[in-house]
Amino acid sequence: MVNIIEHEFPSELKYLQTHEWVRIQDNIATVGITDFAQHQLGDIVYVELPEIGMAFDKGSNVAEIESVKAVGELIMPLSGKILEVNTDLADNPESVNSSPYGSGWMVKIELSNKNEINELLSVEAYQEIVEAEKA
Amino acid sequence: MDFIPHDDKTITEMLSIIGVAQLEDLFKDIPKDLIINGLNLPEGLSEPDVLKNLQELGKKNNVYSNSFLGAGCYFHYIPTLVDFVISRSEFYTSYTPYQAEASQGYLQAIYEYQSVISRLTQMDVANASMYDGSTALAEAAIMASIITRKSQVLVLEGVHPEYIEVIKTYCWGQKIELKIVSEEKLESELTQDVAAVLFQSPNFFGDIEDVVVLAKKIKKNASTCLIIQCMTDPTCLGVLKPPGETDVDIFVAEGQSFGISPSFGGPGLGIFAAKSKFLRKIPGRLVGKTKEIDGEREGFLLTLQAREQHIRREKASSNICTNQALCSLSALVYLVSLGKTGLREIATQNIQKAHYVKNRINAIPGYKILNTKPTYNEFIIKCPNIESLIQQCKNHNLLPPLPLSKYYPEMKDIVLVCVTESNSRESIEAFIEALENANTKKEEKS
Repeated sequence: MVNIIEHEFPSELKYLQTHEWVRIQDNIATVGITDFAQHQLGDIVYVELPEIGMAFDKGSNVAEIESVKAVGELIMPLSGKILEVNTDLADNPESVNSSPYGSGWMVKIELSNKNEINELLSVEAYQEIVEAEKA
Repeated sequence: MDFIPHDDKTITEMLSIIGVAQLEDLFKDIPKDLIINGLNLPEGLSEPDVLKNLQELGKKNNVYSNSFLGAGCYFHYIPTLVDFVISRSEFYTSYTPYQAEASQGYLQAIYEYQSVISRLTQMDVANASMYDGSTALAEAAIMASIITRKSQVLVLEGVHPEYIEVIKTYCWGQKIELKIVSEEKLESELTQDVAAVLFQSPNFFGDIEDVVVLAKKIKKNASTCLIIQCMTDPTCLGVLKPPGETDVDIFVAEGQSFGISPSFGGPGLGIFAAKSKFLRKIPGRLVGKTKEIDGEREGFLLTLQAREQHIRREKASSNICTNQALCSLSALVYLVSLGKTGLREIATQNIQKAHYVKNRINAIPGYKILNTKPTYNEFIIKCPNIESLIQQCKNHNLLPPLPLSKYYPEMKDIVLVCVTESNSRESIEAFIEALENANTKKEEKS
């Protein structure tokens, strides 16, 4: 676990510079927003998730994350089809704040192009981006 | 909040702090040739002279004793209670209620307005109101486009022609394609690319549509398409089936008939209500009720503000960040002072009087009622001599009905007549007399 003051970034995960994290198991990727992102957004009140079966390209906006003061987007880190969405977030949107890498996960994707995984950021590269944003 | 004026001493002090010699120096970036030196205005008048001046101007108005004109703006009885309540300075001059702690009174009033509209229409959610019926309808179309992710909207003939112009403008800005269709062509135009079907009932020509049948037809041909109903005189809800009991997804109406004077065509009130599944996509203000963190006291506040453009920015479905607060308060007072039975009585009188006039007109040779569907308080008639009819109405001091050629040049001999509970028996007799006097065809006059 790499710790930057206040935030946690699990080292086994991959990251996007738009503050999403990705957990890859075979052909399935689980996606959510990082501890830094949830902290920036504030108390999450609602997450609008995509429909299961919808296909998206890497880089497109798949979910909208509403907090009391802002609306953030969930960007697809990899191209694929939505397999599953976290329906618990409807009743417990606050789990995005309390457990962004655990119960606050948002979507599970079936990957269509595994080569894209190489374009994801390692925890160290992501850590640098966060440092730059905080400066 | 107190008004704090600038006095000369304060101005001098402020200028010295920011390092400016005189007030004029703050405007030195404006080119000298654009500066106006004095306006060519007459001398000021004293207060009694101003009043006299305005009274003389006012005499130039022709105030008709009664009206047979509708077409989107209606003369209805307005209980005196409405003016009494809205004239309170706390309501009349109040600013928009962004600070909940300073605006509980207004927020409660808006909350109650929302509740009353929701109950009257039987739609799950009503917002704090939009500007008027036309823009409410346009915003509903955009909302539907965002929800369905489709960019085509069908408008059924019979929607108020000015509303259609407004929707065209809004859709042009949002790159939404608008298509006006007849009832016959509707089924064939209903593809999976359609975001919504917009219809008006009672429509511009007075026809009451069978909303249940129409909605079923739409859902059968395009299951994902939204159904949007608009209404220009919602007093009819005193007798008609409310939209919430049908498949209508979004309901909008012009609320001017609820306690707001026709004035010179405005201000209006955009009633906006929808089914609960669309709650997070509704534009405009929503007032909610909440409780203290540390106690049991309830309070009111603006809620679900993440929908609004000051938070959602370019992803918002609308840029509206206000409501017609004073007009919505008028509507609230109107509806609660009439109550269920009062509104039903008003609606019944509208139907009865309009139908009485229809029957009388049917008996005058040369005239023909053109509606084939049931009507509420408006209907269209074919006339032998429209110019003469208009003149006869004015002679009898009646605001004449609308010649449809204003919007539909091909409808040269047709007028749109409106009869509400505000039309007295005397005015109706005068109107019939005007029609009888005007029933000689133009060609016969030499």
